[in-house]
Amino acid sequence: MKTKSDFPNLNERKPDGVKDDGTPYRVLVVDDSVFVTKQITQILASEGFEVVATAADGEEALNTYKDKYPNIDLVTMDITMPKMDGVTCLEKIMEFDKNAKVVMISALGKQELVKRSLLLGAKNYIVKPLDRKKVLERVVTSLE
Amino acid sequence: MTTETQIETQPEKATIIVKRIDFKMITFTLAGKDYGVDIMRVKEIRKANQFTHVPNTPIFVRGVDNLRGEIIPIIDLRMMFNLPAERRDETELENIIILRVGEIVLGIIVDTIEKVVGISKDTIQPPHPIFGDINVKYISGVVENEGRLYIILDVDRIFTQNKEERAAQAPQTAPLAEIPAPSIPEAAEELNLRFFIETLATFAGFHVSPLNQDWVRNRASEWEEKRRSAHQEVQITSEADAREFLSSFYSPDTDRLWDPTSAKNLVSGLDLGQQGQILVWNPGSGRGTEAYSLAAALKWVHPARPYKIWANDKDLLNISSAPSLSFARDQVPEEYLPLMTETKTGWQFTGEVKSHILFEFHDILHLNPYDNLQLIVVRDVLSFLDVNDQNRLIEEFYDKLRPGGYLLLGKNEKLGHDFTGFREVEGFNQRLYRKKE
Amino acid sequence: MRVEYINPFVEAAYNILREVLSEEVKRGILYLKSSTNPVKGVAAIVGLAGEVEGRVLFDMTKSTALKIASKMNDEDLLDWDDLARATITELANLITAQAVTKLHDLGFRFDLTPPALITGENMEMYDDYKDETETLIVPMETSFGPVEINVAIRERNRN
Repeated sequence: MKTKSDFPNLNERKPDGVKDDGTPYRVLVVDDSVFVTKQITQILASEGFEVVATAADGEEALNTYKDKYPNIDLVTMDITMPKMDGVTCLEKIMEFDKNAKVVMISALGKQELVKRSLLLGAKNYIVKPLDRKKVLERVVTSLE
Repeated sequence: MTTETQIETQPEKATIIVKRIDFKMITFTLAGKDYGVDIMRVKEIRKANQFTHVPNTPIFVRGVDNLRGEIIPIIDLRMMFNLPAERRDETELENIIILRVGEIVLGIIVDTIEKVVGISKDTIQPPHPIFGDINVKYISGVVENEGRLYIILDVDRIFTQNKEERAAQAPQTAPLAEIPAPSIPEAAEELNLRFFIETLATFAGFHVSPLNQDWVRNRASEWEEKRRSAHQEVQITSEADAREFLSSFYSPDTDRLWDPTSAKNLVSGLDLGQQGQILVWNPGSGRGTEAYSLAAALKWVHPARPYKIWANDKDLLNISSAPSLSFARDQVPEEYLPLMTETKTGWQFTGEVKSHILFEFHDILHLNPYDNLQLIVVRDVLSFLDVNDQNRLIEEFYDKLRPGGYLLLGKNEKLGHDFTGFREVEGFNQRLYRKKE
Repeated sequence: MRVEYINPFVEAAYNILREVLSEEVKRGILYLKSSTNPVKGVAAIVGLAGEVEGRVLFDMTKSTALKIASKMNDEDLLDWDDLARATITELANLITAQAVTKLHDLGFRFDLTPPALITGENMEMYDDYKDETETLIVPMETSFGPVEINVAIRERNRN
C-alpha cells in the first residue's frame, strides 16, 4: 500500500501560521480563563502559529507586550478580565505601538465593548464559543 | 388550568402520578381489617336499618331493602365470612355499600366506610392464605397504600358464584306493602357528599371546603337526581364524571374575553382612588384572557391612570403563550377591537395594552412578591388547592391588599365566616369582597 | 418569573451544550422550585445586575463536570484542576452570555458578573432572592450526565 509520503505533494498548502520567510507568527494570548487560553493556543499551534506568551489580565498583558516588543505579531485579547480589562489594555497597547495587531475575544452580549475596541484600533473580534474555523479565519484576516 | 399541563410543570407531583392510578377502590373496615372493592362495582353508599326479613334465607342475608323502588338483598359481610359479629342495636344505622355485580344489585353491610383510594394495578399483590379471615378465592389481591394493607374483595366471584342459589333467596316478588319506607336519613346524604368530596379531589384536584361547599351541596343533589333519572351511576368514577360535575362551577367568561359590559361595570364599580398606579394581581391566569379583559376594562374606565397587572400561572404551556395570545375574530366582542391589532395568527392586544401586563411563570404556593395591591382577581383557583393552602392564601391576600382593596373570587366561591377582615360587595353578579378599611 | 426570560435560558443552554459537546442534548421538563437547592457537587454561579437582578446557577456532579471539561478540552482530564475549573466556568459564561444577549434583543437591560465556581459534597444553595421569587429549573440531559440550570431573576422595581 502506498503511503502519502511516497508522493511529493505539490499542492501542500503553507500553514496559515507561517510567514513567507518560513518562521511562525508570534502570538500573545491574553485571557483570564486557562481553558480559553489553552483552546486558542491549541487552535493556533495547529496552523503553525507560535504562542510566545500568555497573560491572565490586562496589566500582565501590557507588560509582556512591552517586554517582548517588537517580537509579537499578534495579540488575542479577552474583554472581561480582572485588574485591567481587555479594552483598557488594548488602548494602552495601541498607545505604545500604533501598528499592534489585536483581535478581541468577546462573550456574547458585549457588542458595545466590541464596537469601542474596533474604534480603538482592534483588527477584528471573535465571539465565544470559539471554534477552530472561526478563530483562524479572524486571526488570518487581522494579519493581512 | 388543565390537569395534564399542570403535571408537566410539576415534576415532584408528576413522580407520584407516574405510578399511574388505574384502579380506584372504596375502602371499608370489617372486624378490624381494611378492605377494598373496585369502585366500578359500587353504585352508591348509604346508611339504613330495619330491613325486611326474608324467611328461609341464609343467615348472612339480613333482609331486603327498597332502594327507590328496586328491591335489593342486603348481605351482612361479617356473617357471610363467619367473622365475629357483634350484636347491634336494632335502631342503629348500618353502613351499606350498594354494589352492582353483573345484573344484580345488592347491598353489603360493613363496619365503617372509609374513603376512595387510588392505586396502580401493578402494585396489587396476589392473595396469600396468611391473610386468612376470608377464603382466598374471594380475594382478588392485596395492596399496601399509605401504610395500610387493603384486602381487595373479588365481588364478582363472591356474588355471582351462588347467583342461582341467591336468586331463589332474594324475593323479587316481595309485596311492596311489606317493605318499610326507605329510611335514608341525612347521615347517608352526608356520606354520599363525603364521597363526592373525595372523588372530586382524586379526579379533578378540586378541594371541597367552606369556600365552595354550598355549591357542592347543591350540585350534588342536582347531580344525583339527574343521574338517577338517566339510570346512571351516581358516584363519580372517572375524570370525565368529575369534569361534568364541575362544569357548572366555573365563573362566567372563563377562558375567554369577558363580556365587555360586565367587565366595565365591575371596574367602574370599584373605588380605586383618584390617582397613582393601579396594581392588580391575577394568579392562576391560565391563557391570559382574564388579565387582558381586566386591562381593557381599566383602559375603558380609567384611561388616564397608569396600571399594572401581575398575571401568573404554574402551567408553563399556557403562561408562555399568554403574551402573544391570539383570538379568532368571532371570539372577540366588538368593544375590544380598538385595543387590538390583526396579526398573522389572529387578533392580539396591542403592545400598549400588553405593556401593562406582566405574565409570569409562577406557582402561587411559593412566595408571592406582590404588595400594596388594589385588586386580586382569583376566580376558581383556590378551589383547586389544598384546603390548608386555601386558607393560608386568603390570609395572604388580605395582607397584600391595601385597605379598601378588592378580592374577586369565583362565582361559586365564598369566604367562610372566619375571614372577618373582608366584607362582601353585592350587586356585581361576581363574588367580590373588600378589605375593611 | 416573567415568561419572556424563560426561553432565552432554555435555548442558550440547549444551543451551547450541543455545540461544545458536539452531541444532541435533551431538554428536561421545566419546573419551579422554592425550596433550598441541594448542589450536586459542582456549581457555577453567574450574577445578573441591572433592570433585573438575580443569578443563574449551573449544577452538576463532579464526575459530569470532569467529563464535560474533558470533552471541551479534547483530552482526558482526570483531576479537578485549574483547567477543569476554568472550562466549567467558561461553559457557564457561554450559556449565560447567550441568554442575556437574547434578552438584550428583547429590550431587557442587564449585565453579568464573572462566574464563581463552588465545589464540595452535600452542599446546599440558599440565596436571598428566594425571599422574592422562586427559581426556574431547566434540566438538560447530556451523555455525560445531567446539568441543571437554575435561574432566579426578578425585576428590580416591581411596583
